Amino acid sequence: MQSYIRFADKLSAWFGKVFAWCVLVMTFGVGYEVFVRYALNAPTPWAFDLSYMMYGTMFMMAGAYTLSRDGHVRGDFVYRLWKPATQAKVELVLYFLFFFPGVLALVISGWKYAGRSWRYFEVSSMSPANVPIFQFKSVIIAAGVLLVFQGVAQVFRCVLTIRTGEWPLREEDIEELETTLQKAGRSVLAHGSEAIDIVTPKERRP
Amino acid sequence: MTDPQIAILMLGLFIFVIMLGFPIAFTLMAMGIGFGYYAYFDAERMRTLVDNRIFDLFVNQTYSVMANDVLTAIPLFLFMGYIVERANIVDRLFETLSVASRRLPGSMAVAALITCALFATATGIVGAVVTLMGLLAFPAMLRARYDERFASGVICAGGTLGILIPPSIMLIVYAAASGVSIVRLYAGALLPGFLLAGMYLIYIVGRATLQPSLAPRPEEPDEPIPTTRLVVMLLTSFFPLAILILSVLGAILFGLATPSEAAAIGALGGLVLAAAYRALTWDRLRESVYLTVRTTAMVCWLFVGSWTFASVFSYLGGEQVVREFVIGMDLTPLQFLILAQIIIFLLGWPLEWSEIIIIFVPIFLPLLPLFDIDPLFFGILIALNLQTSFLTPPMAMSAYYLKGIAPPHVRLTQIFAGSLPYVFMVFITMVVLYVLPDIVHALPKLFYGR
Amino acid sequence: APAVLAQAPITLKMQSSWPSSDIFQEMAQQYVERVEEMAGGRLKIDLLPAGAVVGAFQVQDACHDGILDAAHTVPVYWYGKNKAASLFGTGPVFGANATEMIAWMYHGGGHELYRELTQDVLGLNIVGFFAFGMPAQPFGWFKEEITSADQVAGLKYRTVGLAADLFQAMGAAVAQLPGGEIVPAMERGVIDAFEFNNPTSDSRFGAQDVAKNYMLASYHQASESFEFIFNKDKYESLPPDLQAILKYGVEAVHLANTALALNQYSADLEKLQNEAGVNVKRTPDDVLKTQLDAWDEILPPLMEDPFFAKVVESQKVWCERVVFYSLQNAPDYRLAYQHYYPGKL
Ligand code: NA
Ligand code: NA
Repeated sequence: MQSYIRFADKLSAWFGKVFAWCVLVMTFGVGYEVFVRYALNAPTPWAFDLSYMMYGTMFMMAGAYTLSRDGHVRGDFVYRLWKPATQAKVELVLYFLFFFPGVLALVISGWKYAGRSWRYFEVSSMSPANVPIFQFKSVIIAAGVLLVFQGVAQVFRCVLTIRTGEWPLREEDIEELETTLQKAGRSVLAHGSEAIDIVTPKERRP
Repeated sequence: MTDPQIAILMLGLFIFVIMLGFPIAFTLMAMGIGFGYYAYFDAERMRTLVDNRIFDLFVNQTYSVMANDVLTAIPLFLFMGYIVERANIVDRLFETLSVASRRLPGSMAVAALITCALFATATGIVGAVVTLMGLLAFPAMLRARYDERFASGVICAGGTLGILIPPSIMLIVYAAASGVSIVRLYAGALLPGFLLAGMYLIYIVGRATLQPSLAPRPEEPDEPIPTTRLVVMLLTSFFPLAILILSVLGAILFGLATPSEAAAIGALGGLVLAAAYRALTWDRLRESVYLTVRTTAMVCWLFVGSWTFASVFSYLGGEQVVREFVIGMDLTPLQFLILAQIIIFLLGWPLEWSEIIIIFVPIFLPLLPLFDIDPLFFGILIALNLQTSFLTPPMAMSAYYLKGIAPPHVRLTQIFAGSLPYVFMVFITMVVLYVLPDIVHALPKLFYGR
Repeated sequence: APAVLAQAPITLKMQSSWPSSDIFQEMAQQYVERVEEMAGGRLKIDLLPAGAVVGAFQVQDACHDGILDAAHTVPVYWYGKNKAASLFGTGPVFGANATEMIAWMYHGGGHELYRELTQDVLGLNIVGFFAFGMPAQPFGWFKEEITSADQVAGLKYRTVGLAADLFQAMGAAVAQLPGGEIVPAMERGVIDAFEFNNPTSDSRFGAQDVAKNYMLASYHQASESFEFIFNKDKYESLPPDLQAILKYGVEAVHLANTALALNQYSADLEKLQNEAGVNVKRTPDDVLKTQLDAWDEILPPLMEDPFFAKVVESQKVWCERVVFYSLQNAPDYRLAYQHYYPGKL
């Protein structure tokens, strides 16, 4: 069970992190559009389509990654008062009731939806550049498959918690700055260039 | 039961089910699919029990979120924020501002507030700002024997300003939910944001003047800091950040017009800024990219769930029932406005802004034309109102961030008590905006003609 | 929802591609009123605005899947699936106006070609009918009055669909923007011009706040009409008389929509001129000529698709005969108008 959890976490993280770089493609793509439109008066016919495709792809492909790091927001003002075993029991039921029907629909109905688009090699109707969108619609299936794999891992996590009474530790990963700060303090931000600071706090304050 | 009654049951049940603590995106998805299964149940058509059209609707709505051209700005602004928050410029900024404001009563609190406001505005990420300032300014204020409540209020309220003052993710999410132009929303939020920040400043200076024991004046340094040195300090801390913010806002207000474009420019600017502060390392870039994708996924999957939920709700006729119910209450526009804002305020106790805007605000939006309320104005009121959701228990995120890193003797109740005056100032600002709506409308009118 | 009682009306869920404030939604409502009245309480249509169940561009997929029973839309919203879709709405102009093109749908083989495209080529589970030949869509809103064709070259212009190809061929720089950002973008000079649809929709949209020159007459979307689509299984499951009411209701609403449009569009145009200070002008002939040249430029690559070519051939055969009759037969209405309202044009 534990080795499957590790496998699923790695799989989700790998895809999530690879597609995370879409944000950089977007940054430079849109930046380029701004440049050519203002400097050369020649807007691109593709930057608009590129930007929503990069955004849509990245958040869909990171759904499972975010789930593996418990990053999806919860209404937890009651939940967090429960014992881990209680939390796990409730979650275990809800994964089957709430989670799997939807993510399986992403795979199965998503297959129908994207398949139709492949059949006529659908392009975007926004621009004259005929930007293809059938591959973009297929992202729905891929995201669904990742969520199914990750969902099974989450179920295993619940089972382990019910057995041991403690949530198994999550893999080390990049954390929000506030989390890192809470754990390790301000030193995490030091990047070696502080020496050039005009004022350092130590100088004047005891 | 009739279909519209089922829709109302769906909404009621959701508010209960949310408390089970399951990730809300998937809870919404499940409620949408569950009630949609009922709505689309058709024994004659369905060949098998899973041959229900709700699954197609779910996929269709998922694609609509993916192809939404407004939400594209979210990852870009988040990326900019994560890059800037890693550039480690906060302590420099706080130091500089402390020195610059040292003659004012409550000078450190003033410096903390301005630092919070600027930094929160540039990053739009509340948690990091409150935590950073909690580690930096809070101990400094305590050492200077500031009152715990007074010091914690400044940091919690100041850090929260980032979701109001543009560029703010919250306003993008509202734009996606309401169809109001983001650039007009940004223009509309500027003056109210400054008004609120100004009110906070006046309060800090005022209380420190009336009750000097809350914020004792720091000791004068042995030798005064020369003006030239202060100018250099400002140039290397305050101005780069201010210029980054102004370039993004300027891009939006004066020319680029699409928020995604302004966000991309902001992200590029953030990269340049980080590089200038020699903080642009491969590790930091990776961290920022990965955090961006996780936060984007968190917000946008919430949209996936919520749009599915909303589709089924209106397919069952729920929207119509709410509309008729509200018409039946025979409210004046002011009464409606107050009622709506009270509900949003109360939702802000247990929930966070993203859930409130994505899930509950769309229920109010179709009612606005009935009362002739401008959705832009309504959005700004909500953005103000939701400032309080970070400060009010039980889910006061700002207070928790601060508590997490504060010295153990600082109690959560002290933090709540310190934040309370700011909650009142938010209310006062909302009343001021209602009385003088031009504070909201003036800039959109100036920049965009109406 | 679960089976209904025998005497209860059959309810169809119909969604449009328009916001509830648009005049097109009123036009869809006219259809609903007519159908319900003719069906004598046996048929009820729940008309929903864009976004209520699915997005504006998603209604065709939704009808195919049965998520919606019916939709009120235009083919330009799904021309990404097959460029020939534009021929049933915003295609090239061979001389016919929208009314003559609707007549092609009914008598020139258009309906059969539309059926072939949707059901056979794309494999969609829908049936569709057409109504309301829209008045030609204006050339658009400009900062400066357009007096000659060379002014169009280099203009940053916002439009979508095949019109984007057309304006690009005319030398304009076509910019894509989210719909909600058009007006702010125009105000800030991100774009120099844009087109929307008609005086009523355009003025409700706020176009007059950001541009003062409204150029009427254009070939870019000169013969569009509404598409009423139904999920095929649902439609065929209805008793024949209700099917007939839905089908002929489309014909009935054609006239109702036309009357509403002529009244409302003209009143709003007058308001734009007199109250909003908009300079309303006809697009000069040399610009229209450039548009025809642009159509000539973008058509050949599209004609490589055999189905696209087949539809164009059918339209050309129809137009050659019908438009000859129409134009030769029509008296010069301008002459009569000028006789009674001298100096107005
Ligand atoms: Na709260
Ligand atoms: Na148009």
